[in-house]
Amino acid sequence: MPTGLDQLKHIVVLMMENRSFDHMLGSLTAVNPAIDGITNNLSNPDTTGTQTKPQPQADFQGQLEPDPDHHFPAVDLQIFGGSVAADRQPNMQGFIKSYFNQQRNVGQSQKIMYYFSQKNLPILTKLALEFAVFNRWFASIPGPTICNRAFAHYGTSFGRVDMNPFDVIEPIKSIYTRMLNAGKSAKVYYYDTTSSTMEVVNLLQNQPKLFGTFQQFKKDCEKNALPQYSFIEPNYSDHDTDGGEQVANDQHPDHDVQAGEGFIAEVYMHIRKNPQLWPNTALLVVYDEHGGIYDHVPPPACTPDKFPCSQIDPGTGKPFDFSRLGVRVPAILISPWIATNTVVDRIFDHASIPGTVQQFFIGDDSNRSPREVTANLFIEKNPPAGDPSRNLLSLSAMRNDCPTFDI
Amino acid sequence: MELIPVPKPSKKAMKPDRAANALLLAQVSHLQHAERRLPLGYRSEIYTHAIKTEGEAAEYIRAVTEAIHRAHADAEKRRARRERRLEIAAAAEKPKRKRKPKSAQRAKRK
Repeated sequence: MPTGLDQLKHIVVLMMENRSFDHMLGSLTAVNPAIDGITNNLSNPDTTGTQTKPQPQADFQGQLEPDPDHHFPAVDLQIFGGSVAADRQPNMQGFIKSYFNQQRNVGQSQKIMYYFSQKNLPILTKLALEFAVFNRWFASIPGPTICNRAFAHYGTSFGRVDMNPFDVIEPIKSIYTRMLNAGKSAKVYYYDTTSSTMEVVNLLQNQPKLFGTFQQFKKDCEKNALPQYSFIEPNYSDHDTDGGEQVANDQHPDHDVQAGEGFIAEVYMHIRKNPQLWPNTALLVVYDEHGGIYDHVPPPACTPDKFPCSQIDPGTGKPFDFSRLGVRVPAILISPWIATNTVVDRIFDHASIPGTVQQFFIGDDSNRSPREVTANLFIEKNPPAGDPSRNLLSLSAMRNDCPTFDI
Repeated sequence: MELIPVPKPSKKAMKPDRAANALLLAQVSHLQHAERRLPLGYRSEIYTHAIKTEGEAAEYIRAVTEAIHRAHADAEKRRARRERRLEIAAAAEKPKRKRKPKSAQRAKRK
């Protein structure tokens, strides 16, 4: 019987900034126990030795100042709790210690354990409960934004674990170049020229026509002109334009989380309200990394990447071969062909994004990183019949009860 | 169907004078790499080491992003003009078809 998968023509990815799974979606365990979020037995020691439990006291703005450290050495401390033993295992016990290092303030350091109540995030939590939420989507690297976002575009960071510009090493190409070379369509929509692109300036320099603004995305949705693959970047800064004040909506601390909620709703609704587009589009909302904020699930080991780390010691006293994922982040797949309350337990990371787009629209290609080649796919063109979890767009009739937001 | 209200950020959320975070400063640095490759006429006159606030970072990011687009658009225009000139030159070089002498045309009519 044909399913939603047979209708699929467009994949859209919206990548937000710097929030962990437990921080944004952890409250949902109380609503659906299959969602692996906050439970009563979780805690982290503060620097006085007191165990601090996660609290539903996260605020939209003004709480996480200074910006929690999420560079490689800090994330190592967060994941391994400060252990440097050769046989150490990730225990997620170093979040408060890491945040304390920035201000030496015990009270402030405990705020890293705060999470949002469901009622404070009505958009993200509604989407998570209505569609497919991923219990095991991890950042690609236990490190900061740029190298993690590189995985979403190239399937690798070419050895980088930091924020410095990276050189693209042939024969690996961006997923956009691969799509265009295969006669397919693809675009990166940044919010506006003042926000611009965060991680693919190299593409902007060489292929500026790959880029459009969020206004263009909205027009493309209205005119049925959306490319087969779209990647959307939020607004990374508060700035003025001719059209008025633009509040940052990327949700990076200390930007307003509600502005990001509004942006997610806007992206969703522009697809949702076009009856030509909604049935054949899948939207993935995902965060680039956890931003130093608490999550309780230890990141698993993974296939090492083929590019050696650009730093012999990335600040931890140990070499890194990209054989461990970063901290877990929120990820939700949206389509009217996905059953309500779907929870996915398989492991994904941002290399799954180019991997899925490549396999779905183009087919196999050997010129890809080992991380991308081995990453699980969130949409498979020919999912195995015996495993229903491999076809998330599995409904045979399109839902007509999907949420509508008042944008 | 229920219409779910969308939260709006507080009026105090807008803070372009807040210190630029590490991410924005990294973006500035990436764009600075790109700016160095632009022809001189397209470069901004913004001193990136003096960028401290989010608003200042945004101003620089816009200047370089728009300059990159402008430089490519201008290159495309120049390419199109060159191609047009080549087409005109090629058309001018084509051998003209020989016209029959008028006497031959008159003979044919008869």
